[in-house]
Amino acid sequence: MQLSLITALALLVLTAVGFLAGRSRALALAEKDGSRLHSLPGYHGYYVALWAGLPGFAVLAAYALAGTMIVNTIVLDRMERAAEPLQARYELALANDDIWSEAEREIARLDDEMAALRGEAEQVIAAEGVQSDAVEALRARQDELQFAQDDARFTRDARANTIAGDIIQAVPEAGDHALARAGFEFARLPVQEREVFLADARALAFGDGLASRDTPELRATAGALQPVHSAIAWGACLGALGLALAGLAFARTHLAVRFRARNRVEWVISATLALASLIAILTTLGIVFSLLFESLRFFAAIDWRVADFLFGTQWSPQTAIRPGQIGQSGSFGAVPLFAGTALITLIAMMVAAPVGLFAAIYLSEYADSRVRAWAKPALEILAGVPTVVYGFFALLTVGPLLRDFALFLGYEDAVTQSALSAGLVMGVMIIPFVSSLSDDVINAVPQSLRDGAYAMGATKSETIRHVVFPAALPGIVGALLLAVSRAVGETMIVVMAAGQAANLTANPLESVTTITVQIVTLLTGDQEFNSPKTLSAFALGLVLFVLTLILNIIALRVVQSYREKYD
Amino acid sequence: MGAIALAIAFLGVLLGTIVLQASGAFTNYVLTLPVTLEREIADPRGDMSEASLRRGSYNQLIQRSLQSEFPAASSRADLRELFGLYSGLNAASVMHRVIADPSLVGSTIDVTMPANHEIDLYLKGVTVEESITAGSGTIQAGAISGDITLSSDSPAFANAIARIRQQASSERDALLGRAARLEADAAGAASRDAREAGLAAARRAREEAARFDTVIDPETRITLGPRTASLLIRLNGGVVAVSALTPDGREAEGRVLLPLESAEASASWSEWVIETPAAARRITDQQAVYARALEERGMVERRFNTNLFLNADSREPELAGVMGAFIGSVLTMLVTMLLAVPIGVGTAIYLEEFAPKNRLTGFIEVNINNLAAVPSIVFGLLGLAVFINTFGMPRSAPLVGGFVLALMTLPTVIISSRAALRAVPPSIREAALGIGASRTQAVFQHVLPLAMPGILTGSIIGLAQALGETAPLLMIGMVAFVADAPSLGLSGLTQPSTVMPVQVFLWSGASERAFEMRTAAAILVLLTLMIIFNAAAIILRRRFERRW
Repeated sequence: MQLSLITALALLVLTAVGFLAGRSRALALAEKDGSRLHSLPGYHGYYVALWAGLPGFAVLAAYALAGTMIVNTIVLDRMERAAEPLQARYELALANDDIWSEAEREIARLDDEMAALRGEAEQVIAAEGVQSDAVEALRARQDELQFAQDDARFTRDARANTIAGDIIQAVPEAGDHALARAGFEFARLPVQEREVFLADARALAFGDGLASRDTPELRATAGALQPVHSAIAWGACLGALGLALAGLAFARTHLAVRFRARNRVEWVISATLALASLIAILTTLGIVFSLLFESLRFFAAIDWRVADFLFGTQWSPQTAIRPGQIGQSGSFGAVPLFAGTALITLIAMMVAAPVGLFAAIYLSEYADSRVRAWAKPALEILAGVPTVVYGFFALLTVGPLLRDFALFLGYEDAVTQSALSAGLVMGVMIIPFVSSLSDDVINAVPQSLRDGAYAMGATKSETIRHVVFPAALPGIVGALLLAVSRAVGETMIVVMAAGQAANLTANPLESVTTITVQIVTLLTGDQEFNSPKTLSAFALGLVLFVLTLILNIIALRVVQSYREKYD
Repeated sequence: MGAIALAIAFLGVLLGTIVLQASGAFTNYVLTLPVTLEREIADPRGDMSEASLRRGSYNQLIQRSLQSEFPAASSRADLRELFGLYSGLNAASVMHRVIADPSLVGSTIDVTMPANHEIDLYLKGVTVEESITAGSGTIQAGAISGDITLSSDSPAFANAIARIRQQASSERDALLGRAARLEADAAGAASRDAREAGLAAARRAREEAARFDTVIDPETRITLGPRTASLLIRLNGGVVAVSALTPDGREAEGRVLLPLESAEASASWSEWVIETPAAARRITDQQAVYARALEERGMVERRFNTNLFLNADSREPELAGVMGAFIGSVLTMLVTMLLAVPIGVGTAIYLEEFAPKNRLTGFIEVNINNLAAVPSIVFGLLGLAVFINTFGMPRSAPLVGGFVLALMTLPTVIISSRAALRAVPPSIREAALGIGASRTQAVFQHVLPLAMPGILTGSIIGLAQALGETAPLLMIGMVAFVADAPSLGLSGLTQPSTVMPVQVFLWSGASERAFEMRTAAAILVLLTLMIIFNAAAIILRRRFERRW
């Protein structure tokens, strides 16, 4: 870290030196030649500075990104080679061991049996559906087999550990053998513990962070890491500096009176700007591909029963623990989530659409400039309040208030976390969104239409109802669609105020759950990344993304075509 | 008009309730104790080294000091209630003081620490209702400590008995009324199950009501328990908790909570009624007595709550503060700003000034408009899948949070920057080009400076949005409980941390009542930050706005 920081500073200095050198050289050339430069001397300076800085920083950035990985690969490779004899002895010992081989055969047999069971389950599910007793029985049978297999695995691994222990005991701890032992130990570690092992070794070697353990093997790995690391670090830093110097010298020889330095520099600038604009595309691609990729993994984990996911009515992701479990696709029926989302969105729009629309009409048609001067900022404040604040308000003020009111009316099952409280508060949140979009649309209706209506003798309210509103309608519909997409994607209010229970209900006083709530629930807290439970969050994310994308595209189309009509 | 008023009223109610809820959090009750730093406890190894001082049992010293205030508290249960007045975590601050100045060992220092949050809420009058009325008549205590009998020649406790009976009969009436309603509902119920459930509920209510009969009956002794209001008698500088009263109001049995100075008969005594029943509150009668006694001795007082602003998060509400989240927010916002503003402005300049009008740039434009409307949580999923799982960046780090928020803010910055660039009239460009400037020179030396105020305004509004964003940060694990504030610097970027809105979310889910007002206070801090951001944007707009 220290070294690369110093190198970065040195590169900055070299860049500055490049600028000065380029400029003074250009001035000297012009004076000697007696004619005018093609480009201003500053551009010659920038040209040299770019040649000095860019390659150097590129090397440094590459090192920062990949340096650690390269060091790890080299050292691990070395460890693996050192451990080869041990590994060979270990494998031979395993092959000759009866207990181990017996357990291995048992595991394979159980695997076959479970595959047969899954095949059988396919037919049963096709015949009787996922939620049937027959499937339940098959699932119980599968759990039994799985249990037996786990047992066999345990026997096998315990035996393997004993044998590995024997082998490692026979190797002395000192010198080169320590590295062999480290390689052997590392090869036997499961994947997630390998990362811990490497992190510990790095902590011991470079003191970045605290090591969780301190064993001779780790020490040996750390000892192997150190020289490789410093060689690569020095190589990268000196390489960067060398490239910078070479670039500086190379660019300096280019300079001439007729040299078109400005065009070169400007080309670099516009290329940089174009690259910046590609980031937006990369983000979209990143979203689409990451969601798609993880969703495909999820669908693979539930045996491609996409229809069960989209149209199933039971959402209980907690029950599907193991990948490949029979009938687990039945726990991922997302209809209750879609229904909950729709219910809350509906309530929110019932608040936001009238209030926002009337506010916009009032502001653009009736209000004088004094009212506008304070009403607009107030609406902007409402729009700027973080959603977590609305969530807190819904949870602690609106929710209890509504519950007490429902109890007062004699509805005994009232709860604090209800679709109604989340929907109402979300509606308030969307009011400024609707009103500012509609305000723009109404303002865009040409004055000539209003004047025409007045000339025919219409009153102000008649003009608004029969002329302005119909003229602005497409734009208003677009605004409302955008508001719906906003409500569908809103997270914090529903996480805090709508509850977690996947009820399939149209009763606004019950608690419901939404797509976004479930994404948050599935992805916070402890998680292993490969279980269908976690992956299902990405499938939900994909549904959310596609849904909002469709709404946005329609809305933007509508608004755009409307704009063109009056421009 | 009505619609606007409604929207403004919502805003008023929202802010009003939050300010109201937060008001209690800005002050708290602190306990100041003279603590003698005894050498053998503070310095167990006896060599005054830092390692030895760190092993000192400072909590024990605080406990000794508190015990010396109430020498009568000796049983295990008494001591547990006494030491419940503060959190043992406060011992750490004593330790830091001693390590900073080892010469303190052996001397007596004043230790000021926040009182336990339940005590704090009690003293603020939030959780517990109580009243004190002067007693009439002369009463005589049987002893000065232990279980004693208070007796009087006149019916001194008649008022108390009347009040208890009145409360009991009103509660009984309420229960009977509820039972009657349930029975009426059950009679008209649709199904048999509903009818039986209704009748069972009514039966339970009647049984509960019957328990009050003995209290109301004028002939029987009245016993007070955890479900009734507590009656404490203050007499001769001590406090007695009454457990039973004779129906004639001349005698009361009870336990001494604070020793009496003497057992003489006295006419100056008062009834101290804690109306919230013991079962419905989190502090005991004994703790209330200790807290009030300390308050009278001037050792408990209300002060401005500095912990709220200077501490990081804590499991104990009285020690929890927003500092850690604030630093996390600053770091995250720095990353967001350094990424989103240059990239966003660059994109805007390219699209507005340089890009040829072809399908690719058209696609980029559509793309940016759509990206602006993608739900924020989707960006969180992107961050989790790409930055954390693919690139192996650390979870919960401000660096990754900044990346995600930068991608989220990018469309806002681009759109507002393009609008600002478009607002610069073409005549400026043409004039620059006309006198021989290149396209780049015209843009960077003439158009951009004129568009700068608009660009800055848009960027600040985008950053303010990012500052209040919670959902995407939940995805990348910034919800962890972080008891140490991250360091303000490069290394802080990869340390686990949280941000202001996530802190609000975390506290709002906490079970302790005291966190509720702290959540509201944290919201006020967050809103203040956002108002500062927005005010900066408005000032910029007002000062530099130019109409062409």
